[in-house]
Amino acid sequence: MLEKQLSGHRVDRSICAWFWDKAISQPDSFKQQPVIASPTHYLFQVLREGITFLACTQVEMPPLMAIEFLCRVADVLNDYLGGLNEDLIKDNFVIVYELLDEMIDNGFPLTTELNILQEMIAPPNIVSKVLSVVTGSSSNVSDSLPGATASLVPWRTADPKYANNEIYVDLVEEMDATINRDGVLVKCEINGEVQVNSHITGLPDLTLSFKNPSILDDVRFHPCVRYRPWESDQILSFVPPDGQFKLMSYRVRKLKNTPIYVKPQLTSEGGTCRLSVLVGIRNDPGKTIDSVTVEFQLPSCILSADLTSNHGVVNILGNKTCSWSIGRIPKDKAPSMSGTLVLETGLERLHVFPTFQVGFRIMGVALSGLQIDKLDLKTVPYRFYKGFRALTRAGEFEVRS
Amino acid sequence: MAPPPPQSNRSPSPSQPSGKSEVSDLKSQLRQLAGSRAPGADDSKRDLFKKVISNMTIGIDVSSLFGEMVMCSATSDIVLKKMCYLYVGNYAKGNPDLALLTINFLQRDCKDEDPMIRGLALRSLCSLRVANLVEYLVGPLGSGLKDNNSYVRMVAVIGVLKLYHISASTCIDADFPATLKHLLLHDPDTQVVANCLSALQEIWTLESSTSEEAARERETLLSKPVVYYLLNRIKEFSEWAQCLVLELVAKYIPSDNSEIFDVMNLLEDRLQHANGAVVLATIKVFLQLTLSMADVHQQVYERIKAPLLTQVSSGSPEQSYAVLSHLHLLVMRAPYIFSADYKHFYCQYNEPSYVKKLKLEMLTAVANESNTYEIVTELCEYAANVDIPIARESIRAVGKIALQQYDVNAIVDRLLQFLEMEKDYVTSEALVLVKDLLRKYPQWSQDCIAVVGNISSKNVQEPKAKAALIWMLGEYSQDMHDAPYVLESLVENWDEEHSAEVRLHLLTAVMKCFFKRPPETQKALGAVLAAGLADFHQDVHDRALFYYRLLQYNVSVAENVVSPPKQAVSVFADTQSSEIKDRIFDEFNSLSVVYQKPSYMFTDKEHRGTFEFADELGNLSISAESGESVVPAQRVEANDKDLLLGTSEKDEGRDPGSNGSAYYAPSLNGSSAPSATSQPLADLAFPTTGISSQAPTSSLAIDDLLGLGFPDGTAATPSPPPLNLNSKAVLDPGTFQQKWRQLPISSSEEHSLSPQGIASLTTPHALVRHMRSHLIHCIASGGQSPNFKFFFFAQKAEATSIYLVECIINTSSTKSQIKIKADDQSSSQAFSTLFQSALSKFGLS
Repeated sequence: MLEKQLSGHRVDRSICAWFWDKAISQPDSFKQQPVIASPTHYLFQVLREGITFLACTQVEMPPLMAIEFLCRVADVLNDYLGGLNEDLIKDNFVIVYELLDEMIDNGFPLTTELNILQEMIAPPNIVSKVLSVVTGSSSNVSDSLPGATASLVPWRTADPKYANNEIYVDLVEEMDATINRDGVLVKCEINGEVQVNSHITGLPDLTLSFKNPSILDDVRFHPCVRYRPWESDQILSFVPPDGQFKLMSYRVRKLKNTPIYVKPQLTSEGGTCRLSVLVGIRNDPGKTIDSVTVEFQLPSCILSADLTSNHGVVNILGNKTCSWSIGRIPKDKAPSMSGTLVLETGLERLHVFPTFQVGFRIMGVALSGLQIDKLDLKTVPYRFYKGFRALTRAGEFEVRS
Repeated sequence: MAPPPPQSNRSPSPSQPSGKSEVSDLKSQLRQLAGSRAPGADDSKRDLFKKVISNMTIGIDVSSLFGEMVMCSATSDIVLKKMCYLYVGNYAKGNPDLALLTINFLQRDCKDEDPMIRGLALRSLCSLRVANLVEYLVGPLGSGLKDNNSYVRMVAVIGVLKLYHISASTCIDADFPATLKHLLLHDPDTQVVANCLSALQEIWTLESSTSEEAARERETLLSKPVVYYLLNRIKEFSEWAQCLVLELVAKYIPSDNSEIFDVMNLLEDRLQHANGAVVLATIKVFLQLTLSMADVHQQVYERIKAPLLTQVSSGSPEQSYAVLSHLHLLVMRAPYIFSADYKHFYCQYNEPSYVKKLKLEMLTAVANESNTYEIVTELCEYAANVDIPIARESIRAVGKIALQQYDVNAIVDRLLQFLEMEKDYVTSEALVLVKDLLRKYPQWSQDCIAVVGNISSKNVQEPKAKAALIWMLGEYSQDMHDAPYVLESLVENWDEEHSAEVRLHLLTAVMKCFFKRPPETQKALGAVLAAGLADFHQDVHDRALFYYRLLQYNVSVAENVVSPPKQAVSVFADTQSSEIKDRIFDEFNSLSVVYQKPSYMFTDKEHRGTFEFADELGNLSISAESGESVVPAQRVEANDKDLLLGTSEKDEGRDPGSNGSAYYAPSLNGSSAPSATSQPLADLAFPTTGISSQAPTSSLAIDDLLGLGFPDGTAATPSPPPLNLNSKAVLDPGTFQQKWRQLPISSSEEHSLSPQGIASLTTPHALVRHMRSHLIHCIASGGQSPNFKFFFFAQKAEATSIYLVECIINTSSTKSQIKIKADDQSSSQAFSTLFQSALSKFGLS
């Protein structure tokens, strides 16, 4: 437990004890609400990989601000420590304190931009360790203040220099779909991101345009994106932060088709239930679909399950999760899994139907159809390398039975 | 912030301490290093500091190392400094004398060449929070505010606010607010500006209660030049600072419409921001600005739709939760805006239940004629959900949609299918819904009754569902062939029925059945009335008695009262008034929305004081109070009419809301409910035993009943006071403290005391004795004239629920402040009245 006291009014540590009592009394942490009222404070909690981030307030405030900030803290720590778990935090608690010190003061969030923080507090990676051994300086805090805090482009370090100037633009899309009991596609949409990794000397001014921006339903931008050019011509004009960042996220609604189909069938009779699941390509995207998986939770009333497949591996895990990893869908046959489930004694038929969660990955295609037209660089006279990639994977892709 | 170790020695991490000996170990090691200027000293110091801090983090008291830590902190190593600042900040409050030691080196660091060290030192200096050291703060703060590095200025601004919280007068005297105001309007660095804004808002808001000038200053923050200045620079601000500015703009009242459009055009792109908090703050500005322009307001709804929906589907579940709460509020005001986007609220398997629950509410709210079919189909799929609470919620949602739609054809079929699903909880929920549906659409009775008739009452266990089934048995007994026999068998199991609600329903249902099919029900009626009269539960007993007398008086009158021709309920009472909804809307983007209550209903200044409470109680004298010194039991004279009327009104008001139990008090059917009830009662008051009423058909049954001959006394006793206190209440101080900390304040009032009372209050004991005679016991009292403070407790008779009272009496102002906390919230009002009446009698006797 790390605590950071921010305001003059001290918060007693017992609030955490209260919180844990409550959390433990309600074993299913999934049911814990993000905002809870304790006898003295209002608590915000965000759960990431088994670590709970807690903030408390006694006065009215925008709830999303607190939650968003906690999420940001989690993200920053994750990036800094290369993961999030109890031991990592314990080993690096000094860094965690230092980070919190810079991120928030007197209950008011300050800097959460990773680039800037990294300049103030060096991340504990191997490089910096080696560096400190070589140079003999053992501080993991840089000696000077980051230049960007004073610059007009707060997300960019003052003057990076690279021998090779390069920029990579990735379209990463996640497809959320719900297919109901009758096999009807109830809902299908894509949440996508434009991820950029930029290593360009100086202060580059970039423009990025799409061939078909009209398909985008809603967009959100990194603070670096100028709004006017987008509004008038749907052109992204920006001075990028240095390194990896998320330029934009978007949403495309009302897609008509999914690349693969999954057809589960359950018939129960006399205490056993026959299950079969068929998987196949519905709508060939032109690239290989791989890492296909189907997962579902066996209802608690099932005593045992015997499932086999003609392709891939079926595993039944301890918590009654059944996972079928198919990998690449073969050209010649449709993968299928079948078997029987034995129900609890006394139960004739299955009343609770599992939901099948499907995973897949398609490299090289953005299923929404979004295409990048061109990327231009103004202001800096260097030649530079441009790389574009696309990837679609399954988000919340679920099939009900 | 990581999960705490359940046992402190759980994992053998190197940084874990073994106990006290290690602290003294650290102490000696630190002492050795303190003066050392050897090359490796900083590294070993760093290791030691790390150990000290890790001990501090897990809650071991290492404050005894304070002196050594401070000695070691004379170093140029910035990490060491940071760790030392952290340590000092944590323990300075407990060791003000030692803190004085650190002031010196912190002040020196404030003049360091490195702006980072200047900033950090200043921050730590302000975080010491030791009141007698404020004089040392003013100088460094003043120069910090003028520093040429923005980092230091930024820290100094927040430092001013910290200083204000330690000592408001020092802060005001040094004229810091004016400096901040200057910085707010002229500083080139936006983070400094943002910090100024937040500091000034806080200072002037707190000051404004005492100083008019501060109130005026606070107003100027909302003036056009300031707001425009901030808005024009908004893109330079960090995302969090943007939230702050937007919050301010939402309070700004533009002078005309063109100004409104200017602001909105300027902020339009904020809706596209990656940070959800900014988006929501912007939406608040838009909504507030356009409140007076209905058509633009509608356009705003259209505009904010897409960003909000994106927020729901992208981002973490916690974020979705907060956004969904706001969507729910919006949809209550304008249900049509999301009616085409209902698919966004379909639940996903992996979502946490708190998100699912809100989504179900959204689905219910957006349902209209065009999408009902799809929504209900979707909801029905959730009924087979693995998560039982969600399955229940979704069935309820189907029911709610049915109640708000005109075309319920398909929905009724679905509900009836639920009844046949053979799952206990599904059947239970569906029964309750079918009951509500029948109250609104009596025309469906034929179909429903056919299905309900097939349900065996043995399979229904949940009280609410059982009550619903019984209600239907009574209401439609003429259509359900075996209704009297089912009821009869239920009456036979009266003693095993634990829920009073079910017993009440059973009483009424048997009555109704009796009027429709007298010969078959006669036996059951006799049994149920007898069982009801012998019941321990006050309401059940009273209702049985009431029915009994009613039957005795006149059977046809009884029928009119118990089973009058009913009109379909067209609108179910809304649980929240529109006024409250408007208030919540005004507080858009705040916690109110999450709690669905305006903030005045849940935030409470008292909360601030609770942690101090433990100390306070310790200082008070625990009066020698135990079970022995018990005064003979006395009926508390709180049996006044107001109280009775109060409770009955409350009951009636609650009825329509509480999921369809509106009919359970058919006697209140008349428009002027209380008088209608009391009138027949008065007439019936004491009929001489044995005189049968005019209704020949029932005379036999009633004679039989009278033969039971319950003692006249029961009938003669006026209904007992609504709240009796236990004369032998016992509570130990520990439990009291614990309860006081746990329970919410149920009422907090201020009263004036009678002059006689004040006169008698020379010592606390006088009042303690007086209250004891009213069965309210004192657990702690203290103070001297004119201020007295008491902690009282009392216990409800024949119940375990305890009432806790904090009472502060000022004899010079003759005022008393009373705070009451109760285990049983429902009766706390009654107790409050009782307490006041007891207090007001003080000094009169």
